[in-house]
Amino acid sequence: MRVDDPLIPITDFSDEQLLQWMKQHGIVLKANEARRVVELIGRNPTITELHIFNIQWSEHSSYKSSRKILKQLPTSGSNVILGPKEDAGIVEFATLHGERYGIVVSHESHNHPSQVVPFEGAATGVGGNIRDVLCMGAKVLAIADPLRFGNPQGEQQHKVKYIANEVIKGIAGYGNPLGIPNLAGDAHFSDGYDGNCLVNVVTLGLVKEKDIIHSSAPPHADGYDIILIGKATDNSGFGGAAFASLVLDEKDKDANKGAVQVPDPFLKNVLLRATYAVFEEARKHNIVLGFKDLGAGGIMCSTSELCQSGGFGCTLDLDKVHVSMELPSFMIACSETQERFCWISPPSFTRTILKMYNETFALPDIAEQARASVIGKVTREKKYLITSHGNIVCNVPIDAVTSGISYDRERKKPSKHLVEPSLAEPQEYRSLLLHVLSHPNVCCKKSIYHRYDTHVLGLTIIPSGMADAGVMAPLHGEKPAVALSVDSNPFYNRISAYHGAMLAVAEAMRNVAAVGAVPACLTDCLCYGNPEVPEVFDDFCEGVRGIADAAKNLPRKGTTEPVPVISGNVSFYNDTKGKPIDPSPIIACVGILDDYSKAITLQLKHAGSKLFLIGKRKDEMGGSVYYQLHSKLGKQLPLLDFAVEKKQMDLVIDLINQRLVLSCHDISDGGLLSAVVEMMLGGDADGTLGVELLPPLSALPLSRVFFSETPGFVLEIPEQHAAQVYTMSAAAGVELIPLGKVIASPHLKVSGIFDVPLEELRSAWTTEVLS
Amino acid sequence: MTKRIAIIQFPGTNREDESIRAIAAAGLEPVLVRWNNTGDLASFDGYFLPGGWSYEDRIRSGVIAAKDPLMKIIKAAANKGKPVIGICNGAQILVEAGMIPGIENRVEMALAPNRTGFWCFWTHLHCSAPQGRSVFNKLIHPGEIMSVPIAHGEGRFVTKNPAVITSLRKNNQIIFQYCDARGIITDAFPTNPNGAILNIAGLCNPAGNVLAMMPHPEVASFKKQLPGFHGTFEQGEQLAPAHLIFQSLADFLRSKP
Repeated sequence: MRVDDPLIPITDFSDEQLLQWMKQHGIVLKANEARRVVELIGRNPTITELHIFNIQWSEHSSYKSSRKILKQLPTSGSNVILGPKEDAGIVEFATLHGERYGIVVSHESHNHPSQVVPFEGAATGVGGNIRDVLCMGAKVLAIADPLRFGNPQGEQQHKVKYIANEVIKGIAGYGNPLGIPNLAGDAHFSDGYDGNCLVNVVTLGLVKEKDIIHSSAPPHADGYDIILIGKATDNSGFGGAAFASLVLDEKDKDANKGAVQVPDPFLKNVLLRATYAVFEEARKHNIVLGFKDLGAGGIMCSTSELCQSGGFGCTLDLDKVHVSMELPSFMIACSETQERFCWISPPSFTRTILKMYNETFALPDIAEQARASVIGKVTREKKYLITSHGNIVCNVPIDAVTSGISYDRERKKPSKHLVEPSLAEPQEYRSLLLHVLSHPNVCCKKSIYHRYDTHVLGLTIIPSGMADAGVMAPLHGEKPAVALSVDSNPFYNRISAYHGAMLAVAEAMRNVAAVGAVPACLTDCLCYGNPEVPEVFDDFCEGVRGIADAAKNLPRKGTTEPVPVISGNVSFYNDTKGKPIDPSPIIACVGILDDYSKAITLQLKHAGSKLFLIGKRKDEMGGSVYYQLHSKLGKQLPLLDFAVEKKQMDLVIDLINQRLVLSCHDISDGGLLSAVVEMMLGGDADGTLGVELLPPLSALPLSRVFFSETPGFVLEIPEQHAAQVYTMSAAAGVELIPLGKVIASPHLKVSGIFDVPLEELRSAWTTEVLS
Repeated sequence: MTKRIAIIQFPGTNREDESIRAIAAAGLEPVLVRWNNTGDLASFDGYFLPGGWSYEDRIRSGVIAAKDPLMKIIKAAANKGKPVIGICNGAQILVEAGMIPGIENRVEMALAPNRTGFWCFWTHLHCSAPQGRSVFNKLIHPGEIMSVPIAHGEGRFVTKNPAVITSLRKNNQIIFQYCDARGIITDAFPTNPNGAILNIAGLCNPAGNVLAMMPHPEVASFKKQLPGFHGTFEQGEQLAPAHLIFQSLADFLRSKP
């Protein structure tokens, strides 16, 4: 394995010297890890080789702490077209005119970059996730944005609001110009995120099963060209993967900014269209290609994974890479410059690809030095060989590059002192309700999602905010539709990492059910603190166990299969002031409807309809907004009874699909009264109808009935369907609790207790959190 | 023969799909024409400049695209009476090209930044001009109210020349104005989402064959796209009121030899 570059004398260094040398050169490997590189390749490495392992063995790229734990998650099933092995997972959507279609899903976070440079960090988070979906050969349909910010009323409020507003601008500033609608999202606020926001992105795409392009060199690819397309490589985002794998340190703030990539949605807009045109050409000529986006680790990571997964090696010539500045070879190989992809193409098709990007869509005219360039060849010999100026700068077995490392991290149960507060029953409920409605974790989020284009592409049926899940019918003129929701409550997770994760899965599924869609798959973005801290690692393991248990115990409707987890990522090292963030397993659920016209929103439709509650209220106030208002956390979380939960969800789906329900909302943050008020106001807070509520008969104090966040649904049923709904509920073994009726008078009347005009509710709920 | 409409794609355009769909649903033939391959552009029966951010909206929204050589061809076609519609970024391009309001054939108005930034939500449009004042309201009765969403950050029609406003009113060039659900035109946000003078949402040129509008009728063309749609699949696929803009265009072209 000859190389021409000088070798780093790792074997001659003491651990101390080694660490010092690596620190000077921006390498964050541990001393033993650097020595393992020597063992693995049988000699001391070149600087390029050491940088490669620095990135490949970062937590971000290698999942070295999490990989073993993640094996518990159910990832297969009869509806899974592609599990979580490539850039995105694919779940069955529908078979139409003899073609099986899949929904492509990817779910990632861009947390540290968004904390340091919020606009660019969030924008490149969107960009990277969209690339993951596109590179499967899909048409990109929609994005969702689960966001977690610090307390906008706490000590750090100015910084928190600044970051939140810039993140929202960054998401809008990328998705809007690209022409990808925002279909779902949520925002939670907690002081636990004061120093480390979470910015997740979920992207959906559509692909015919036969048109899927894999992130792998196809069979017989020996001698195929490796084509780099997109932006000219620069030094932006160098070390991004390593940066994502360390706790943020305020004193490194300026240095860290360099590890954040620079977004170029204008170039991406054209790149997207040019790539769709390449898909079309390749399909026309039955050409099998490999395609992968460039994310963490840049050219190195993308080319090595493409070739290794196909059973090949490759040679790369860095002189052929289009760059926008003089760069050392290791930087060209590993920089995380945005808006780039890599094709593996038979030489006969290479010209078509080059022409499409360089001439037809004229990339070099769109952005300085952007283009498609052939940068190497796939080889039968399983070496990863890189040359620069005629010198070999890297020459290692390709299996070594992608082999990764793994750790068995220590676990220790965190000691928690949880107590259930004994709060006196309130004197009155009216002002309490208004406080709950104006709480940052309950109030209307339209000032966020109205910044996003929710209608571009013209396929949206229910946009962000109008229901518990967004709904889109991606094939114009056809019935099937996809629903998307996201969820995770940091306060539940603060009480229990296990139950918090289960509740997040159940709620994401319930959200999808509330529009009438059948939950089809899940994705998870697991955001936790430093996994080297045993208590944090225990939270992580408990979170994964919770997701797995919920997915298995709430099987896919009509089957005994778990709802599969088909995409996701792990983000560790999220700390605020030396304290880990609350466990944050952010869950997305994709649901399928056989007919978009059956989907319903959460807004009340007609005066005279009856309201019903599914899900008996319980004394489960732990983590509730009610407790947050009293600065308490509590202990008694909503406990899931899977059998009950499953029956309720399936019944709601059936009722909606039989068109017996006019509107439906799940009960979550804020509890029953908040759910009812949100139905009165509707997502955009423009509702005009009122509700006369009969508080359900219960031995519980009214504060529990009104504000406990026990899972459930509120349904609006037209009078004439009530009998049928009762019959179906009884047959399903679900208790249907009468809750009152919809009235024309714009008031919330709770018989004998209080009466609030709709305008007061509207004004409380539309509180501006971020201004 | 089916009339052909060129859907213009500049680098940065992002509303091609839905524009193509809306034109096809009107019985016209949409043809996507890329900025650097304009071929027989002059031979089309009509032109559609869709939304997006052409040329990254560098300098000002629409200003670079307005100077793209293909706009000369479209301008010449418009001068011969061929219909041209620009929506959102397309409207910005028509204003920057001096084609709207087109009173003196120079830039007379601007689409300034919204008073409170980019917004995407549903607005109500009041159809303010007499029926048939432009090619695009041939089938729309005055006083009708349509639901159409906006998605823009620079959509505030302004001018510093009061004479322009006088002419717009005198010529009945104001085709659409933002109004509330009851049809009342007030300047308050969100009824007037961007602060446009006279709540202007869409303007035609004096001849009536060119229309620039900021809201997006191409995504309010089918009932399933409307907020709170409730009905069967067949009802969802039916055309929505705002699609009359494209049907008007088709009706106009059918009446031509």
